[in-house]
Amino acid sequence: MKELLQLARSVLLFKHEAYVQHVARADVLKRGLTLLVLATLVAGTISFIVNVVEDLRPRNLETQRRETEESLRESLESLEPMRQYLDLPPGFERELLKYARPNIEIGFRIAALPTPLPKPVGSVLQDLGAFLSSPFSRMAKWLGYGIWVLLVAKLLGGRATVSQALGATALYAVPHALDILSPVPCLGGVIGLVTTIWGIAIYVKALAVANGFSVGRAVASVVVPALVIGALALTGLLGILILALMSAGG
Amino acid sequence: MKTLIRRAWDALFLSKAPYAEMREESNPPLRGLSIVIIVAVAVALVGLVGTALEWATTPKLSDIQRIVLEGIQKMEGFRELEENPEFRERFLRWYETGWRVFPHLFGAPNIVRAALRIVLLPLSLTFTWLLYGLVAHLFARLLGGTGTLGQMLGCTALGVAPQLLNLATFLPYVAIGGVVGTWTLLCRYVALKTCHRLTWGRALAATLLPYAALAVVVSSFACLGSAATALIFGGGTSQ
Repeated sequence: MKELLQLARSVLLFKHEAYVQHVARADVLKRGLTLLVLATLVAGTISFIVNVVEDLRPRNLETQRRETEESLRESLESLEPMRQYLDLPPGFERELLKYARPNIEIGFRIAALPTPLPKPVGSVLQDLGAFLSSPFSRMAKWLGYGIWVLLVAKLLGGRATVSQALGATALYAVPHALDILSPVPCLGGVIGLVTTIWGIAIYVKALAVANGFSVGRAVASVVVPALVIGALALTGLLGILILALMSAGG
Repeated sequence: MKTLIRRAWDALFLSKAPYAEMREESNPPLRGLSIVIIVAVAVALVGLVGTALEWATTPKLSDIQRIVLEGIQKMEGFRELEENPEFRERFLRWYETGWRVFPHLFGAPNIVRAALRIVLLPLSLTFTWLLYGLVAHLFARLLGGTGTLGQMLGCTALGVAPQLLNLATFLPYVAIGGVVGTWTLLCRYVALKTCHRLTWGRALAATLLPYAALAVVVSSFACLGSAATALIFGGGTSQ
């Protein structure tokens, strides 16, 4: 564990030697993934604790119902400045509330239904499930994009094996441990931006070290898949637009 | 058994060693089959525990169905529509059908189905492994691979390793998502590259060509199916 923390610290400080030693290890992917999972779990810790405490707090059903209606009314009031652009009919808020009330009632009645295990057990298990799902969600995004980066890197002459490339790029998740501060008002947004940029920089550096090529090629390997995806999406959208225009013309 | 589990675990991290060890086994297909069965049964058993816990923390579906119906019936616009007996009857029929189909599609906990997976998951993973192994072997040989079919089946059996991630579903509400599929693809790439001693480009082609072949077969069947349907129904209406 101490060794992993040391690696995390060196990675955050962009110490070249740490990257080289990490890539040279036989268990490079195992170590990279362990750091990815740990960083993601650390990032979600505060939200998890807050959710569990919130779920275990005894609350009056009537108060909850009032709170829900109030928050709905508040979100409708926040539409007020947009009113001139949205062209809302008069009495729109009242009508919406009238339709929302039965749905809120349905939600509360379902929440009050009995379950074989006590309710708090279910709530905590749901919070735990969401907390433990976050590393898998990060892994899916990292791997989904990573295979395209890997392909472009190979085409650009990269020498890394799959486990080396993935084990190295998994280190991008380390700064995201700071996302633990994301629930803090004002600071959260800034932290999110900083960790994202820091993570991308680590990703590029790790990819360059793993493949034994320049940072320029690493940047190209990271950017090209995004450009291709963007170009394909744009072509698809243009195609749909042309079809729509043709059918409208016909 | 311990060796096989360790090998599957090592294969998950995409290092060449477990795949190379499998290639040199005396009976790789049998070893491969054992790995597929062990992993599948373990995942299904763990999934059963997770599903049972989810079921025990979820209200009865029939109660939810009743409450939603009562809620809809109380809605203002619906009361006017319900005065029409034909609408009322049709709505109730569709409502019942919808509740029979959709909750299961969206992952409502079903213990019987989770228990059946103890038999069905090993069968489906074995079938997929054999089919993929065979087709990928043909492409790998065409691309200059040197492995035998037995070695190939042994190595591609390690492609089942990412299923180990599903062991996390021991806890309910844990979502693994699409990571298993992508990871399986990577394991198969390493398996093909190691077994057939191919270059990375050829190994990539041999890994992806079975998927492309499957896509072609499925689309051909879909086209044939729609052509046959058009022929039958088109012929029927013209007379």
